[in-house]
Amino acid sequence: MSENEAFDLPGCLERVRKREQLAARNLVEHLYPLVIRIVRSHLPRRVAEEDLAQDIFLKMFTRLEQYQGTVPFSHWVSRIAVTTCIDQLRAQKRRPEFRWADLSEKEAEVLDNVLTNENDVAPDDALEARELVHKLLDQLKPDDQLVIRLLDLEQKTILEISELTGWNSSLVKVRAFRARRKLQKLFADLQRKERS
Amino acid sequence: MNSTHRQWQRLTAAVRRAPEERSATAPYGFATRVAARAFAVQASSSPVLERFALRAFGLACLLAMLGVAANYSLLRNNVPEEDRFFITDDPAAILLDVS
Repeated sequence: MSENEAFDLPGCLERVRKREQLAARNLVEHLYPLVIRIVRSHLPRRVAEEDLAQDIFLKMFTRLEQYQGTVPFSHWVSRIAVTTCIDQLRAQKRRPEFRWADLSEKEAEVLDNVLTNENDVAPDDALEARELVHKLLDQLKPDDQLVIRLLDLEQKTILEISELTGWNSSLVKVRAFRARRKLQKLFADLQRKERS
Repeated sequence: MNSTHRQWQRLTAAVRRAPEERSATAPYGFATRVAARAFAVQASSSPVLERFALRAFGLACLLAMLGVAANYSLLRNNVPEEDRFFITDDPAAILLDVS
């Protein structure tokens, strides 16, 4: 039996509502992997992941009485996590225009390879590719960043994104379209001024 | 599919293959700290007004009773003579008495 199957979530929630500290600790430990994965995917610059995770859990406890059980608890918590991340992204200042000089030597090399040949990125360069993608996404508006991260990095469907964000499907599609167009422009600009 | 879209897809595919080296378990003491803060916040914020209102109501009742007790004799002696009839002679009692 896996750890998830062994965890009695309804019982734990009941005990948390009765203000049992041990149950609250168990709930945090149980949900931490889910929350930290979302935080790491959408973490704004200069925000500590642990601080953001703590904010999400505090919101979860504050709103626990509102949880009706109509959706799985993990979905409900994911939505709190995503909306908290996007609030943080909105609060941060826009990054200045992207330049090749902002990249490390290895990141510039990966970007150069992507722009100039048709080969896949080498597995050894995956970590640099991740940094590079985060820097590119930083150029987008927070809502557009979120949609692209969920669509292209986490490979969620439009419906799943709609459930996570509370935006309707049309809005998700519009934001995805707008974000892709901005990314295309960014790539075109980069190709034009490649290492100039 | 245009070339920029393919370039982006190759980059994101590489990101999905990137190993996650950071731990996904809560750091030591994190859960304890969060649970303690959550209950502290709940205890200190939500019932504050409720408790304040109850105390204020209790205090107001006490002050009202003290006020009445302190001035009881004054109130009793200051009833005008013409009003005593209405106070001491209950019309219902008079009617019952007559019947």
